Amino acid sequence: MGRLVINSVSKKFNDFLALEDVNFEVEDGEFVCLLGPSGCGKTTVLRLAAGLEEPDDGFLCLDGKKISGVNKECGFVFQEYALFPWRTVKENIEFGPQVKGKTSLECERISKHYIDLVGLSGFENHYPDELSGGMKQRVGIARAYANNPKLLLMDEPFGALDAQTRNLMQSELLRIWEKEHISVLFVTHSVDEAVYLGDKVVIMSARPGKVKEIFDVKLARPRIRTGPEANIIRDRVLKSLVSEIKIASKPGQ
Amino acid sequence: MKIQTGKKGLIINLLSLIVFALLWQLLVILARKDSFNIPFIRLRDIPTPVETWIALAGSMFIQIHGPGFTYGIINHVYASLQRVIEGGIIAFIIGVPVGIGVGYSKLLRNLFNPLIEIVRNMPPMAWIPLSIFIFVSGGSIFIVFIGVVFPIILNTVQGVKSTDSRLIDAARTLGASESMIVKKVIIPSAFPSIMTGLRIGLGVGWMAIVAAEMVIRSPVGLGYFIWNMGDLGRYSEMVAGMIVIGVIGYIMNISILLLQRRFIKWGD
Repeated sequence: MGRLVINSVSKKFNDFLALEDVNFEVEDGEFVCLLGPSGCGKTTVLRLAAGLEEPDDGFLCLDGKKISGVNKECGFVFQEYALFPWRTVKENIEFGPQVKGKTSLECERISKHYIDLVGLSGFENHYPDELSGGMKQRVGIARAYANNPKLLLMDEPFGALDAQTRNLMQSELLRIWEKEHISVLFVTHSVDEAVYLGDKVVIMSARPGKVKEIFDVKLARPRIRTGPEANIIRDRVLKSLVSEIKIASKPGQ
Repeated sequence: MKIQTGKKGLIINLLSLIVFALLWQLLVILARKDSFNIPFIRLRDIPTPVETWIALAGSMFIQIHGPGFTYGIINHVYASLQRVIEGGIIAFIIGVPVGIGVGYSKLLRNLFNPLIEIVRNMPPMAWIPLSIFIFVSGGSIFIVFIGVVFPIILNTVQGVKSTDSRLIDAARTLGASESMIVKKVIIPSAFPSIMTGLRIGLGVGWMAIVAAEMVIRSPVGLGYFIWNMGDLGRYSEMVAGMIVIGVIGYIMNISILLLQRRFIKWGD
């Protein structure tokens, strides 16, 4: 299970209308990418789904249950990792199970499973400071998974990585996602990333943030980044996005 | 603060001390030979480093009976340190929770800020007369407490307030309750600041205790020792006591820095 419904959601920050009448769904087990110009409210959508913010209008549901208060059935992966610097890799991953009252034996088992899954064996006792960006985000992903969420929310998780590491992490994420099939809502500003990862790409427009267009990416996995079908979809997505970026970057709005 | 390490750093550190001691020796000896004279300063009466060293060695352990000489310097050090540690522990036990509360809760902040701001601006020395007549015993520990508690509170508040909000969000989405967030995110995140507060506080406390011992006239303590030696005209012992005060303050500071480095394996 893990079906997220976003139903005519609006969100204001003081007088600034961040989101207006946003509607879309993440089906169970689906990988949805949220794409849009900066400042279009992509992160706000994630924070609403995580229950870190409340909508001013409309509602969000996860498996038919209205999200109100912090949504403990989702995992959040942050752009700048947001790892606890005083905890080792293992202790970071065990944070969720620990606060949920799992015994240390269970925590041990869970962390071992996810450390293996994200390929961090041998780094259990390293502190985040001692890891590269890509490895930090592996910890971030493992930590989110360790809580056994129904929905994974990812806020430009690979945005701070160099191009090679980024490609590698995208493939790794798909490998993990195929193993532990849970729904993913993935925010990015990279068209390539969205088309490579997503079953569905939701394009948002800015000021106020709205859903502009939704593309289904019906490409077989594993995908070829430069395949002709991928190029066609990428081209359409890019065209839809370019007009938005032009509007968003106009001064004085 | 950076601790100088390596041979080169040590030599440079020692060099400044040696040059200072040589200059001191030279100036006093020249003044005693009437080679020169600075108006309003009785330079010739200052004990030389050599005299100070001899006095230090002579009064370190042995107990020479007679007024003010019942204890060796080591006993005075012990007495002063004990007061600072006792006052410091009480200040830590009270200061850290207050700092966390005030840093975390806006209500508590608004409630306590004016009180903290006013009281912290009263120097520990200003509390001496009051503590003399309200405390039957332990007045000097109270003075230390006043000196230590405010740096701890202020640094704890700072540490709590500068906790990365994304870490708090991360903990929330991982299912942590508010009390868990305080325990598992805010306190560890503020820990380096708390240690800094303790370090600065103990520095203030050390100065305060020496001053308090001069006024309160407890029978032992470094403050009492230097005051008493001054009264008795034993200026070499007095200066030796002053140097001991400085050296111990320095050692305390470095010890906490090293402790901090040992416990905090992450960051910086």
